[in-house]
Amino acid sequence: MSGASKLPWMVVLLAVLLYVGWAIWPASALYNDVLSSHRMLAIAAVFKLAALLLGSIWAFACRDRLETDNPARPAWFLLSLGLLSTFAGQLSLAPFQLVLGQTPFPTPGDIFYVLAYPFLIAALLVFLNAYREAGLPMGSTAERALLLAGVGVIALVILRPVAATAGPLLDRILTIAYPALDLVLLVPLVLLLRVALRLGRSEAGEVWLLLLSGFVFLCAGDICFAYFQSLGEEHLDPFVHATFILAYALIAGGAHRQLRILKS
Amino acid sequence: MTTRETIDSVVKVLGPYIGETMARSATEAHCQKLGIADASAVSTEQLETLLGKLGGGLNIFLGRDKSKTAIGEVRDAITRGAGR
Repeated sequence: MSGASKLPWMVVLLAVLLYVGWAIWPASALYNDVLSSHRMLAIAAVFKLAALLLGSIWAFACRDRLETDNPARPAWFLLSLGLLSTFAGQLSLAPFQLVLGQTPFPTPGDIFYVLAYPFLIAALLVFLNAYREAGLPMGSTAERALLLAGVGVIALVILRPVAATAGPLLDRILTIAYPALDLVLLVPLVLLLRVALRLGRSEAGEVWLLLLSGFVFLCAGDICFAYFQSLGEEHLDPFVHATFILAYALIAGGAHRQLRILKS
Repeated sequence: MTTRETIDSVVKVLGPYIGETMARSATEAHCQKLGIADASAVSTEQLETLLGKLGGGLNIFLGRDKSKTAIGEVRDAITRGAGR
């Protein structure tokens, strides 16, 4: 990795550390005298918007570079739409975060956040199908059944406490919907992980390392959000910001890396 | 060139693109499906069919142009190996 290509990752790392620091030392001078909570929310909003928009543009450019009969082309298009829908959700939150320094929940932006999932899940399924059709090893039926059972167990463990909390119906539906959709996303994600592990540190391997780790952080962010929201632990929200910044940056980075391969 | 030598040549060239593990498992799987026996010599026809199948898989990761280049590199490596 060259110095120029390392720079964006250094910025992302610093941003993540900044929000982790905010969660651990909220009373420190840095977060009270220099960076108020309003400023921190605004910085997070700008980071997320930039990563989502760039990710969507780069994923669309990948789709554009692939031939019309390439089975991966629709997957990149769906990924682009998923990121664009998440961007729309983040954009509708931006006025609250940038002007008022608040993150209301739920908002009309949640429609876009929820809408992003069918696109993202479909993108991963199309990638899986493309790899299967190309004759890449995808694991036996028994392994896939075991995986589904595993996700089912995780679903029970994660969703039970979130579902048991009180609150307005819409809040509860959305708080459960995000981790539930993430668990659906987790199924093709784990299957793709099998493929990605075989790619190692190759050119294609770098793309999938970035994309899949981005999706893992996305799932982690949603699950943390659901827990902190339902358990009233909103002071831990900086961890959620850090997780989402990292998730969106990794996915955008994966799309960018793929675009560089296609351009080379 | 034997099947084993062909697979090794493919892995050496495609490793940087898709990783050695993926290159080996995909090539072995295609050889098995095409009925190319492990110890036997690979005919020109069998080689072209194998490269066609590998190219189809590479398209997904690299796009058609780069995939063609990579398959060309594999063909050159095998030709060089067979000429020794």
